[in-house]
Amino acid sequence: MNRRGFSLRTVVLAGLVLVGVVALGTGAALSSSGSTKRASASVLVDGTTDTVTNIDPAGEYDYGSFTASFPIFQGLLGYAPGAKVIPVLATKCSFKGTKTYFCALRKNVKFHNGDPMTSADVKWSFDRVTKIKDSSGIYTLLTNIKSVTPAGPYGVTFHLKQAQAVFPLILTTSAGFVVDHKVYPNNKVQPNSSEQVGTGPYKLTKYTPGQQAVYEANSDYWGPKPKSDSLIIRYFSKSSTMKLSLQRGEIDMAFRDFTPTELASLGSTKGITVHKGNGVVIRYLVFNVTRAPFDNVAVRKAIAYLFPRQTIASKIYHGNVQPLYSMVPSGLPGHIDAFKTAYGASPSTAKAKAALSAAGVTTPVSIDLWYTPSHYGDASADEYAEIKRALEASGLFKVNLQSAEWAQYSDALGKTYSAFQLGWFPDFVDAEDYTAPFYSTDNFTSNGYSSKAMDALLSKEKATSNAEARYGVLVQIQKLAAKDVPIIPYWQGKMIAVSRSNVHGIDSTLDPSFLMRFWLISKS
Amino acid sequence: MASQGTSLKRYAVTRLVLVLPMVLLLLTLVFLLMRVAPGNPISAALGGHAPQAVINQISNQLGFDKPLYAQYGNYLWDIVRGDFGTTITDRRPVNEIIATNGAATLELTLAAMVVAVLVGIVLGLVAGRFRDTPIDVGGRLFGIVIYAMPVFFLGLLAQLVFGSWLDWLPTSDQASPLTQATLETHTNIFVLDALIDGNWSALWDILKHLILPATTLGLVTAGIFIRLIRVNVIRTLKDDYIEAARARGISERAVVYRHAFRNALVPVITVVGLQLAQLLSGAILTETTFNWPGIGHELVLYIENRDYAAVQGIIVIFALVVVAVSLLIDFVNAFIDPRIRY
Repeated sequence: MNRRGFSLRTVVLAGLVLVGVVALGTGAALSSSGSTKRASASVLVDGTTDTVTNIDPAGEYDYGSFTASFPIFQGLLGYAPGAKVIPVLATKCSFKGTKTYFCALRKNVKFHNGDPMTSADVKWSFDRVTKIKDSSGIYTLLTNIKSVTPAGPYGVTFHLKQAQAVFPLILTTSAGFVVDHKVYPNNKVQPNSSEQVGTGPYKLTKYTPGQQAVYEANSDYWGPKPKSDSLIIRYFSKSSTMKLSLQRGEIDMAFRDFTPTELASLGSTKGITVHKGNGVVIRYLVFNVTRAPFDNVAVRKAIAYLFPRQTIASKIYHGNVQPLYSMVPSGLPGHIDAFKTAYGASPSTAKAKAALSAAGVTTPVSIDLWYTPSHYGDASADEYAEIKRALEASGLFKVNLQSAEWAQYSDALGKTYSAFQLGWFPDFVDAEDYTAPFYSTDNFTSNGYSSKAMDALLSKEKATSNAEARYGVLVQIQKLAAKDVPIIPYWQGKMIAVSRSNVHGIDSTLDPSFLMRFWLISKS
Repeated sequence: MASQGTSLKRYAVTRLVLVLPMVLLLLTLVFLLMRVAPGNPISAALGGHAPQAVINQISNQLGFDKPLYAQYGNYLWDIVRGDFGTTITDRRPVNEIIATNGAATLELTLAAMVVAVLVGIVLGLVAGRFRDTPIDVGGRLFGIVIYAMPVFFLGLLAQLVFGSWLDWLPTSDQASPLTQATLETHTNIFVLDALIDGNWSALWDILKHLILPATTLGLVTAGIFIRLIRVNVIRTLKDDYIEAARARGISERAVVYRHAFRNALVPVITVVGLQLAQLLSGAILTETTFNWPGIGHELVLYIENRDYAAVQGIIVIFALVVVAVSLLIDFVNAFIDPRIRY
């Protein structure tokens, strides 16, 4: 026996292993500190927790897909920084009568594969969206188009079924993105794994689902050259992981979405900048007005009197949202603070009590409030806890909070829930997109709200082409909405992006159009 | 010998036949669970934005209004033909998910298994050899603690310590954005792809990204191996033939390594194979924690979106892999130990 020999061998082996681990760690330390800074200055890396369903415009109707396709594709019209509508692939567009819209196309525009862009491509692009009728639902934006007719190779006419003052704004959406008719089939969505060809400032060179999208600057772009030669959008499933990556310099910036706590932490981190601009995402509470106790307008009004908008904005969201007093966000033409006028800027227990007393409602009123804990961000639970606290503090309500994950929640909404949380980002930036979907009879929330007066106003607004007159109708809509209160809007989010301090140009793209124009961003 | 071959063949056939009802039961459970859960992929995608009429129309287009038995029949027929379908939410062929994301999971799982086996074997052997000493106590304590610790918690700790505080290692993803953007894809296993191209800087970047998630997942599994190997080593060291070897003057090192350890490892083979199933389930949590683009990570996202096609397809693959590995282990054990066949 030689137990001492065995022990010595073991010690030697263990020592070798230890040396190896230390060497690896040291090497990792030396390399990682360099690698985070080694990325080329002309490559911009953006992180996001959004997901992509389809890059083909005929199949995308979610924000993640839109952000991925926006560097590649363009429409006849678009938004300049500052949210002003400008011609993009068109040079000029105008109505000819109320149901005909003509656009003159920009000449010498090429797709990424070198094919010239002509009216045939424009017609093909619109026709295929309505023909494919993809399950994403994007085709619903084009239902008012009767036909698209080329007027020579550089002109196109849209024939509408009904007058639609906001039709130019429809052309700014991804439903109006122009694709190469030689590449995109007209009977199905182009798979993400196939080539994606547009006219935009970037071309997509590599897409790995769920991981990243890689873009190179379009050398034949008809407009100004992008400020970064390459763009990478990196996809994260958790914002906490994205935050770590940003802090370590593995990504240069992050757009959508951090929790309020993470934003507060990043705001105080050296080398990190939180950029904020006017946003148009809103949050609101919907009532099923056919189901007790919300079938009584006095109950809805009482909640409107008590709603803790300021507390939610300051304590839950740390100032990253602002109180909202109308479904139409502040900053959009036609907006008025209808709920502030009707119910006051701050909660009032006395007015709420008076409203309930006048209607003979016995208090406390028992209500169920539903929210979804993660789809709209992790702060939803805190948000609804605060609403519950505020309502119960008045002594007028007893609140039972309920929640369900989005897959179940989205299927239920007004069919099952009596009062529930929802959020909205617009299809196009106009007050119409914040009124018609919510206040029409058979609106998508299934809340049972039906008002002939409201339906008449909504129809009138759609048919009114004069801007001032239309805004006047929108004001009436907002006032009626505050009076009937089937929905309580309560916050409007800011457009927020976070970056390392050597990244420039983000502030120029933060505006109510809610578009991230990566081609304006660079880093030193 | 003919009798041995016949019994092995009979055993193999019996095991193979039993696989079919097992897999069918699993497929049926997955199918029913996805449909019993409230919500569907269309309302998950469009709810809160599109009118109910549109949601209904699209649901009808995709056949969600067909009778359950019809949907079930189509589902089974597709699987028999090897067509795992296309995901509903992002239109990816499930076969593509298995190829690309499955490769990422394979990379992680194999690396984790290497960590688990190395750490487990070394610590288990040392603990068993030096039974009832501080080394043994330390090894056992480490094994228990590491096994009891939730893998995502260990992962978060690792990210905090090695990624955030020490800034030694990356905390997420399979490679850095630039590496991933420029790496040529041959096998979808990044380590192999980098080796094939001789891209050493990419290889180093990939290995750095692999360290934390593989170690996290591997250590949790190592906890099982430590205890198992320790017990087996202790038991084997008490056997008569070990005493006989010592009595014949064979060195302790030879006794332990050449005789005891090898025999102690035989039962471990079974456990290593079975732990593959454990690693796959642990991989789901590890992949989510480290944003590792594996099949488990995708499965979580598809479940959240009620994507029937994706979840069914991925679960089938998981099941088939586990079944295949279990079968392989059974065959190996039956070959080594004839008692199992009878």
